[in-house]
Amino acid sequence: MAKTIPRPETGLWEQIYVIEIMKGLRTTFGHLFKSLTDPGHFPTTSYPEEIHDLPRDYRARHRLMQRADGSPRCVACYMCSTACPARCINIVAEESPDANIEKRPAKFEIDLLLCVFCGYCVEACPCDAIRMDTKIGVLVGDNRADFVIDKAKLMDWKPADYPADDTQSQKAPGGTLNAQALAELHGGTRAGAPTATGAGHGQGH
Amino acid sequence: MDCCLTWASAHLAQIVAILLPITMPLIVFQLLPLVVVMERRGAAFIQDRIGPHRAGLHLQLSSVKGVFTGEAGGLRLRAFGLIYNLTDIVKGLFKEDFVPPFANKPWYLIAPIIPVVIGILATAVLPWFAPFTTAYGQTVSGQIFAPEVGLLLLFALSSLSVYGIVLGSWASNSKYSLLGGMRASAMLISYEVSMGLAILGMLLIVGSFSLTDVVEWQANHTWGIVVQPVGFLLFLVSMFAETCRTPFDVTEGDSEIVGGFHTEYAGIRFMLFMSGEYFHILVASTLIATLFLGGYQLLPVPGFGTAWLKANLPLVVCGFTTITAIGLFVAVKLILGRRAHWAKRNSTDTALRVREYSFYATVLSLAAVGALALGIAVAALWHPQPVSGTIAAGTAIWPNSVNIVTAILQIHILLGKALLLAGLFVWVRWTVPRFRYDQIMGLGWKVMLNVALVNLVLTAVIAKLVKGG
Repeated sequence: MAKTIPRPETGLWEQIYVIEIMKGLRTTFGHLFKSLTDPGHFPTTSYPEEIHDLPRDYRARHRLMQRADGSPRCVACYMCSTACPARCINIVAEESPDANIEKRPAKFEIDLLLCVFCGYCVEACPCDAIRMDTKIGVLVGDNRADFVIDKAKLMDWKPADYPADDTQSQKAPGGTLNAQALAELHGGTRAGAPTATGAGHGQGH
Repeated sequence: MDCCLTWASAHLAQIVAILLPITMPLIVFQLLPLVVVMERRGAAFIQDRIGPHRAGLHLQLSSVKGVFTGEAGGLRLRAFGLIYNLTDIVKGLFKEDFVPPFANKPWYLIAPIIPVVIGILATAVLPWFAPFTTAYGQTVSGQIFAPEVGLLLLFALSSLSVYGIVLGSWASNSKYSLLGGMRASAMLISYEVSMGLAILGMLLIVGSFSLTDVVEWQANHTWGIVVQPVGFLLFLVSMFAETCRTPFDVTEGDSEIVGGFHTEYAGIRFMLFMSGEYFHILVASTLIATLFLGGYQLLPVPGFGTAWLKANLPLVVCGFTTITAIGLFVAVKLILGRRAHWAKRNSTDTALRVREYSFYATVLSLAAVGALALGIAVAALWHPQPVSGTIAAGTAIWPNSVNIVTAILQIHILLGKALLLAGLFVWVRWTVPRFRYDQIMGLGWKVMLNVALVNLVLTAVIAKLVKGG
């Protein structure tokens, strides 16, 4: 059944119009006055001189997390590219020199023109290797190839740009917890694990 | 020097007769950019936006190391959006003057010129200052062209600008354009009647069609808005319709018929249409000010007319400059507020902005101080009748200077009122939504016409009772 919206009742004052228009003029003048006197009340930012600060959980361009020694944390398990609805992640795996780790990505490419920024890759990753917290929301390029970012570009980020209380992030080279992380990685603090420096005996767990 | 002044006194009427037709259209024309900025920034501010403010002149003053220059690259002057007029004109002139292949070429090319020409012509009939008699007994008129039926001529000219719209829409040979033109012509007849009737009440009271007489009557009695408030309202609404402004901008009707009459126009011809519209707004505002807001008179009280102005000229000039200085100081205050705001924002061009606002604040402060000094100097040094006790005592003063300064002051008063009314046009535009086409017809024929008739009859009866005869 069609819903009937009744016309609002208008009295004589409303029908004369003049008073109502004057009320409207008062409202708009209020805005005009505020805009003139208080430059802080504009909700807009002067892009690109000022860039609006994005929240950390905004799904922006990806980055690849790093281990303490600077290698990518990715183990080339293909879970992100499998989860990707846009099929924009292209991984080529190779054998890892580390005895504890089976594979590593020889190639890790994301085609940002295909990417729908859904964040499924981040959720799918079992070892927190891919994140979308770079706050890079504007992607610029001259040709299509510019938008295909490779492993080097994905790992090109500064630890200082990320929150200091994120220990995972700061274990990357240059991070505040780097020394501690290196000690963890190579000092055999993981129970039963063989040392990472040795090659060729990878039957640990 | 003396012989020059004598010659000028003897030929003042001729000089004014040559100068006025050249200067008045130019003066009104150079107010167009101001109204355009008022429209753009006013619209933005009413909608809580910043508005167009990017276009600027970038001055590289690296050789002059001072307060306003620095390592971050010179001084940028954006002049509150005024630079956009410059860029607009450059853009319009360098765009291709495209004529659609289906258009009727000669009329298509002529149509945009009509509104601008009409606007320029209309400045001829408006009284810009009170007529005065020079020291040599010549009479100088405040109008460029002063016919007995000045008002009727102005109405005729004003209505003619619709012809530009209709002609342009017809010559474009496009359906949307034609719809806009038809709306314009239909709207014309629906409000033109009540516009004429609205003004008749005022003319009945004054007893003359001459615009100078209307203003002089207002100087001797009171402003027209006091004796004819209903007529003022009707005339104001009619003027909104005549200038095709919101709430009566159905001729453009961008949400319905693309651009209305100027759909097929681009480049400088489109801008001619636009400047014609703003010119029309200025002329309409001046006309409203002349008919209902006392024209070039300062105060709505009898006894403060042109004669009072001339007798107290130094004080009036001093008051004017003081008000100007106060306005400038308020502007400086607002600019300093903006500078403080931008100084604490994290922006890549913070230094440039702060330097620019400092420059504005300094220039406007200096202007304010200069205005104050000028006012004080005029009040102290210059007296229309050299009397003992003033510094100017005993000095012969060119007698026509009083008349000329009064005329310039009155032009300022009239244009000030017109600019305020143009601000009202902008303000209303961003407040009231557009009327539907049939609603305008209903308003024009069923409401405004009847109210105007009743107003006219009542005015006639009261005028008869009060005046007798």
